[in-house]
Amino acid sequence: MKKVIIILSVVTAAIIGATTFNSCKPTEAITRSGAQIWGETCIRCHNTPSPATFSDVEWDVAAMHMQLRANLTADEIEKVTEYLKSAN
Amino acid sequence: MKKLRKIALGSMTLFLAVSLSVNAQDTLNTTLGRQAAQNFNSFKPGKSKFMLRGFFFTGFDGVTVGDESTYNFIGGGINPVLLYKQSDRLFFEAEFEGEYGHDGFELGLGYANASYILNKYMTVRAGQFLLPFGTFTEKLHPAWINRTVNAPLGFGHDGIAPSSDFGLELRGAFYTGNVKVNYQAYVVNGPQLKTGEDEPDEAGMLTFGPMSDNNNDKTVGGRLGILPLSNQMLEIGFSGMTGEVGTKGSEYEGVKANLFAVDLSLVKNLNFMKSVIDIKGQYNYSQVGDANYIVPDDTSGLYYDFNNVSSGYYAQLSIRPSLVSNNFIRKLELVARYSELQTPEGALWEQNPTQTTFGLNYWVDWKTVLKVGYQTTGGLGDHDSGETTTQNLIYVRVAMGF
Repeated sequence: MKKVIIILSVVTAAIIGATTFNSCKPTEAITRSGAQIWGETCIRCHNTPSPATFSDVEWDVAAMHMQLRANLTADEIEKVTEYLKSAN
Repeated sequence: MKKLRKIALGSMTLFLAVSLSVNAQDTLNTTLGRQAAQNFNSFKPGKSKFMLRGFFFTGFDGVTVGDESTYNFIGGGINPVLLYKQSDRLFFEAEFEGEYGHDGFELGLGYANASYILNKYMTVRAGQFLLPFGTFTEKLHPAWINRTVNAPLGFGHDGIAPSSDFGLELRGAFYTGNVKVNYQAYVVNGPQLKTGEDEPDEAGMLTFGPMSDNNNDKTVGGRLGILPLSNQMLEIGFSGMTGEVGTKGSEYEGVKANLFAVDLSLVKNLNFMKSVIDIKGQYNYSQVGDANYIVPDDTSGLYYDFNNVSSGYYAQLSIRPSLVSNNFIRKLELVARYSELQTPEGALWEQNPTQTTFGLNYWVDWKTVLKVGYQTTGGLGDHDSGETTTQNLIYVRVAMGF
């Protein structure tokens, strides 16, 4: 178990280092499109759903659910919802 | 003159007829338009929106312990999830957990809570909710999301990681440069200490789940998640919770528990393998304050104690060749998971099991999966006997999200 703690400590230090470095860079993350966010965010927990899965009304509900569950920002969920509605 | 009069009269008659006809057509159009609008409006959704989702699973298990094997189709479970968007700020969610147990079909409540979006960066939630202690319980437990057959060691019944509770939570997310940060902070009734009165072998364990508080000291906790890369393929989270677990007025009053967890998620396209890899992991640690427990089956009033520290972790790797052109191959997924649990030395529930799982999944669509695999769990047993057993499981599962 000590090995696990050591590994986790090293990983944590690396993450904090990367975070400090990356937080100083220009904000390319917040200029991502709805399609990009959809492709990169959903797959962190489950497969990426097709936009055709739900109607516009259903996407409104599903999107709010995911905003809360997956901790998406208001801007992110707005972009994703717009993309899904335009592509379904 | 007569001819002119006839022409004028005929023209007026024709104009009148055309006018009446047009007017009648307008009236008809207006009526039809109103009816169409009424019909449309009767189907047009209002601002409040309801949705039923959830998941179902069933399958087959072959379990071998020692020389004995059993083979069973399992009843599986069905978990309907109710989602209701009252407005752009107010949201309700509830999950029911239906499963075939020893006493037939049992229905429970996984969570039921209401959320209100205060602003772009903060949402408040009240009710029974899944605790953000790591990510497995809150985000990865549904059968159609979990890549393997069950929860890792240390989660679920008799685990060391909390599941859900009654309380109040603040959560949200924001950016600092390219780094995304998400957070949850909550206050809940909290876990309770098992004293051994009902189940002597479990003295010193924590009971998790939604319960009324056994003391007035609320448990507080939270999680901080950091996504350091702009494409958000990597997330590391730190969770903790602390609070009294002993019952007020009992000899265990004032006994506290401190828990923390670290979780990791990495999802990346590997173009040279035409695959997507998904690495998940979580480390859990639980420390319960000193307490003395009654020695079972002893009438002289003897007590025993132990250093009540538990820990456990899991690491999981899955690979799916999603980027290949073959339609069959790109629906396949290989998964491997290892998990370990260490419960307190000297406790009657002392264990150090390890579990290894290998599986092959076939994704029928994005939320329906057929899982086939093998799992071996060693080191099972109790402190008294000193003997350990190994359980081998061959499983088949069908899990469907809906």
